[in-house]
Amino acid sequence: MKWSISIQDLKGDVFPAQMEGVKLVVNKVLSSHFQVAHTVHMSALGLPGYHLHAAYAGDWQLSPTEVFPTVVGDMDSSGSLNAQVLLLLAERLRAKAVFQTQQAKFLTWQFDGEYRGDDYTATLTLGNPDLIGESVIMVAHFLQSLTHRLVLGGELVYHRRPGEEGAILTLAGKYSAVHWVATLNVGSGGAHASYYHRANEQVQVGVEFEANTRLQDTTFSFGYHLTLPQANMVFRGLVDSNWCVGAVLEKKMPPLPVTLALGAFLNHWRNRFHCGFSITVG
Amino acid sequence: MKWSISIQDLKGGQFLQSAFYGIERGDYFLGVGVPCLCLFLPFPSPPPPSDVFPAQMEGVKLVVNKVLSSHFQVAHTVHMSALGLPGYHLHAAYAGDWQLSPTEVFPTVVGDMDSSGSLNAQVLLLLAERLRAKAVFQTQQAKFLTWQFDGEYRGDDYTATLTLGNPDLIGESVIMVAHFLQSLTHRLVLGGELVYHRRPGEEGAILTLAGKYSAVHWVATLNVGSGGAHASYYHRANEQVQVGVEFEANTRLQDTTFSFGYHLTLPQANMVFRGLVDSNWCVGAVLEKKMPPLPVTLALGAFLNHWRNRFHCGFSITVG
Repeated sequence: MKWSISIQDLKGDVFPAQMEGVKLVVNKVLSSHFQVAHTVHMSALGLPGYHLHAAYAGDWQLSPTEVFPTVVGDMDSSGSLNAQVLLLLAERLRAKAVFQTQQAKFLTWQFDGEYRGDDYTATLTLGNPDLIGESVIMVAHFLQSLTHRLVLGGELVYHRRPGEEGAILTLAGKYSAVHWVATLNVGSGGAHASYYHRANEQVQVGVEFEANTRLQDTTFSFGYHLTLPQANMVFRGLVDSNWCVGAVLEKKMPPLPVTLALGAFLNHWRNRFHCGFSITVG
Repeated sequence: MKWSISIQDLKGGQFLQSAFYGIERGDYFLGVGVPCLCLFLPFPSPPPPSDVFPAQMEGVKLVVNKVLSSHFQVAHTVHMSALGLPGYHLHAAYAGDWQLSPTEVFPTVVGDMDSSGSLNAQVLLLLAERLRAKAVFQTQQAKFLTWQFDGEYRGDDYTATLTLGNPDLIGESVIMVAHFLQSLTHRLVLGGELVYHRRPGEEGAILTLAGKYSAVHWVATLNVGSGGAHASYYHRANEQVQVGVEFEANTRLQDTTFSFGYHLTLPQANMVFRGLVDSNWCVGAVLEKKMPPLPVTLALGAFLNHWRNRFHCGFSITVG
C-alpha cells in the first residue's frame, strides 16, 4: 500500500494561517459533484472583498481523497482568477493545469504531467511557457520509495529567459514513522528540514528550518496544534526566529454549522500586529 | 428614592467631545463639557436605555476582572493592537462603606494605570447628605493632562454642579463649568450649563440649554447652545430591541453628524449585538457573547468607514 501523505498537509494543519480582518465564508454543497463557497472579506489592506470559489469533481473516484476530473476555480470581485484542472489521462498518468490571473493579466499558466509507478513517481512541470518570449520554467522531479517508510528523490528546476538560463538541483528525503515525519531538502538554492510529531491524539508539534542561499537568510519555526474534540476546539500556535508569534483558535458552534476562528500575529522585531476573525458557515 | 442617570451611560461610555468650548485640548475631559442630566423621580421607573452604540474595537484585548473583596476589585487588561498603544492596563476600584443607593457607594476611588505610566484616577466623595465632591486626574506618562474638581449639590428636585477644570494659578488659566438641572415633572428635566474658560489674554463663555423628557419606553434629550446643538432619541421597542438616533451640530467645526444605533439582546443565546450607521459613512457592529459555564465573554467588533476606506476589527475576551 502506498502512503501518500504530502508534507503540505501536515504543514497546513500544524502551523496557523495568518488572519487579517473579518471574513465570512459560506460553503454550499450543490450536489455530490459541485460545491460553491462565497467569501466576503473586509480587511484594512483593501483587498478585493468578495471571492467565489467553485469546485467540480467528476465521476472517476480513484481513492477516498482523489476524484477525477477535478476543476477548481476562485474568482474575486476585481476579476482575478485562480483555476486548477486535474485530469486522469490513464491509470498511472495524471495531468494538471494551473492558471492564475490578476484582473486581466495572466500571472501563471502552468502544466504538469505525473506518472505513478509501483513505488516511484515522476513529474514534469512546465511553468509559464512563453514561445514568443522564449522563456520557460521546467521542473522535473522524481521520488522513489525505498521502503514503506523512506522516500528519496530529487528535483531539477531549469529556467530559461532570453539571454539567461540556469538550473538548480535539489535532493529530497522523507522518513515517515508511526508518530512522526521528517523531511530534508538540500540543494544549491538552500536547505529545508522539517520534523512533525504527533505526541498524542490531541497534540501535534512541528519544527521547520529553512536556509536560503540567495537571500542569505535562515528561518526556524516551531508550531503546535492542539485539538480538544469534546470542546469542538482546535488551537494552532507558532513561534518564529523572525520574532513572530501567532495563534489561531477555531471553534465549532454546535448545533449551528458555524465555525468561528480568531487569529492574531505579532512581529516583535518590526512591531507589527494584525488580528482577525472569520466565521465559516457550512 | 433618587435616580441619577447621566448622559454618559446613554452613549455607551463615549464622552461627547469638547465641542461646546472652542478650546483645543487634545484629549477628552472626563465629565467636563458633558451636560450631566440628573433625573429625579419620586418613584421607580423603568431603567433608561444604556449603551446602545457599539464601542470601536481594535486589536486583541484580554480583560481579567477580579473581585478581591466586597470593597475592592481589580481588572487586568492586556491589549495588543496595530496602533502600538501601551499593552497593559491595571484598573483598580475601591468602594467605601456608605451606600447611598444600589448604584452609589461612597467614597469611591477608581484608578487605571497603563504600562507606560499614564494614570486615570477618579475620587468620589460624599461630603454631606446632599453634597458630593469629585476629583479627576489624568496623566500621560509623567505629564498631567487633566486635573479637575467638582462639587454637586442635590436638592429635592434640582441639581447644581460647579466644576473647575485644570485650574492653574501660575498660568492663570481655568475652565469653569456650572450647571443646573431642574426636574419640572417626573418626566421632564430642564437645565442649563455655562462654560467659562480663561487663559492669559483670552476668556470666553458658552451657555447651553438642556432638556430631557423620559417616557415609559423612550427618552429624548436636546442640548442647544452657542457651541452647537445635540439631540438624541432612544426607544426601547421591546425587551430585545432598543434603537437610538443622535444628531450633533458643531458651530466651531461647521460640522453635523447623524448616527443611528441599535441594540439587540438575545438572553437565551447569551448574546448582545450593537450596530451603528453614521452620516460619516461609518458602519460598525459589536457582538458580545457569554460562554457559559465559563465566566467568559467574547466580543467581536468591526468598523468600516466607507468614505475614508478605513477598516478596523478586533476581538476581546473578558474573564470574570
